[in-house]
Amino acid sequence: MRIDQEKCIACRRCNYYCTMNAIHLEEIPHLPGKVSSVVDEEECVECGACKRADVCPVDAIYEQTTTWPRTVRSNFSNPLVEHKETKIPGRGTEEMKTNDVTGRFKRGYAGISVEMGRPGTGARLSDLEKVAMAIAKVGVDFESKNPLTGLMVDKKRGKLSEEVLQEKVLSAIIEFVTPLEKVRLVLKAIKEASKKIETVFSLDLVCLPDEEGHIPTLPMAKQEGFIYRINGKTNLGLGRPKALEVE
Amino acid sequence: MTHTLHRRGDFESLREDFPMLAMSAKGINDIGSAKKMRKFFQIILKYEIVNFGDMKTGNKFTTDINSIMDSMKDSSIVHAVFKDKDELKRCIEELKKEDLGISIVVSGLFDEVDECCRETGIKWNITEYSLGIHGKLDRLPDEDFLEFSTMCGHGMVAADLAKKMILDLKKKRISYREAAEELAKQCCCGIFNPYRAEKLLRKACAHWCLFES
Repeated sequence: MRIDQEKCIACRRCNYYCTMNAIHLEEIPHLPGKVSSVVDEEECVECGACKRADVCPVDAIYEQTTTWPRTVRSNFSNPLVEHKETKIPGRGTEEMKTNDVTGRFKRGYAGISVEMGRPGTGARLSDLEKVAMAIAKVGVDFESKNPLTGLMVDKKRGKLSEEVLQEKVLSAIIEFVTPLEKVRLVLKAIKEASKKIETVFSLDLVCLPDEEGHIPTLPMAKQEGFIYRINGKTNLGLGRPKALEVE
Repeated sequence: MTHTLHRRGDFESLREDFPMLAMSAKGINDIGSAKKMRKFFQIILKYEIVNFGDMKTGNKFTTDINSIMDSMKDSSIVHAVFKDKDELKRCIEELKKEDLGISIVVSGLFDEVDECCRETGIKWNITEYSLGIHGKLDRLPDEDFLEFSTMCGHGMVAADLAKKMILDLKKKRISYREAAEELAKQCCCGIFNPYRAEKLLRKACAHWCLFES
């Protein structure tokens, strides 16, 4: 995103709407005496929130044309941009939301998502690669429909294209399904990797209940020192045809 | 896309926060699902919901019901936010009866959602848990501001904007409702809970001393 410095009246209204705190007032060298809001393009993730907020009284905010690899930023950060891989706007996949129909998660397996940069800090893809490579060492198959997997040049190692490593996104999701036997190893790897990054991530765990109605992954998470929250998501199972019928 | 997961807050606050979404599965039951989405939207509007929306069209505070209804597509993901568990339960009951065949996900306190399912005779399919936030935690804003920003899973509600609203409230430039709705406007999907935000703003105004920079 950019701000037309000649139009800007330095009211600062847009500054507060920036999800990355990347808009600041600056003196403009080529316009003596002029102060303007300026987007720090290194930190801007092209989410479009400043423009959509529609608070600029002089319509000075605009979206510049971006080229690869900077296009990665809006693809992952602007919720209105639809990924060509998933046909879904946003960063991830349908995951558990349609599991009643897709049967994506089977008994004996767990789904894990590492939402890099969430909440509110954003993430360089170099940090994302560190976590993905640490997880890959345990031996997982990254979700092929997740747009992030499409940026991996070596999916077995979790290695991303060199071209994108310095790009920053609001959030991107490392997503995979793993057998229950590997859950503790994966969580251990994630915990280790969390010490080596310059950002934060939110961690998700998906699992079908066992025959007694217990979630087998919760004790595993606890054993690895992860505390699960009291609120989360429940798929009500109202989708049709049922996954078993699809199979 | 786990955008209704990871909402921060304590038990009392989360008791008034139940986002619901409906979507079809690509390649399985998506063809022709726009009609079912419209029906879903008609159903949820009968109940007391504090926000609603379809990401591509807008939310309760940026668009209107007819625009959302008219823009419904097979790929639409429709959202609503309930603040009351009993209202949620009644809506789930009707959705079960209508048997639309699209996937419906409810977020919120597991015990409360589970109770709604049991009392309406629903055997839920799968749950997703949040294992919290990790990494360089000193980069996070204070927990009080995270409660606002995590109500938009796409991160469109900046912690700085919540601070600005608190500052404007203290200076009496804006009402609590206006501040909560300004925050809600930024969340395209309509999963931000302005009812809860208003309560959080009142609490934050009492606790925080902020200065205009």
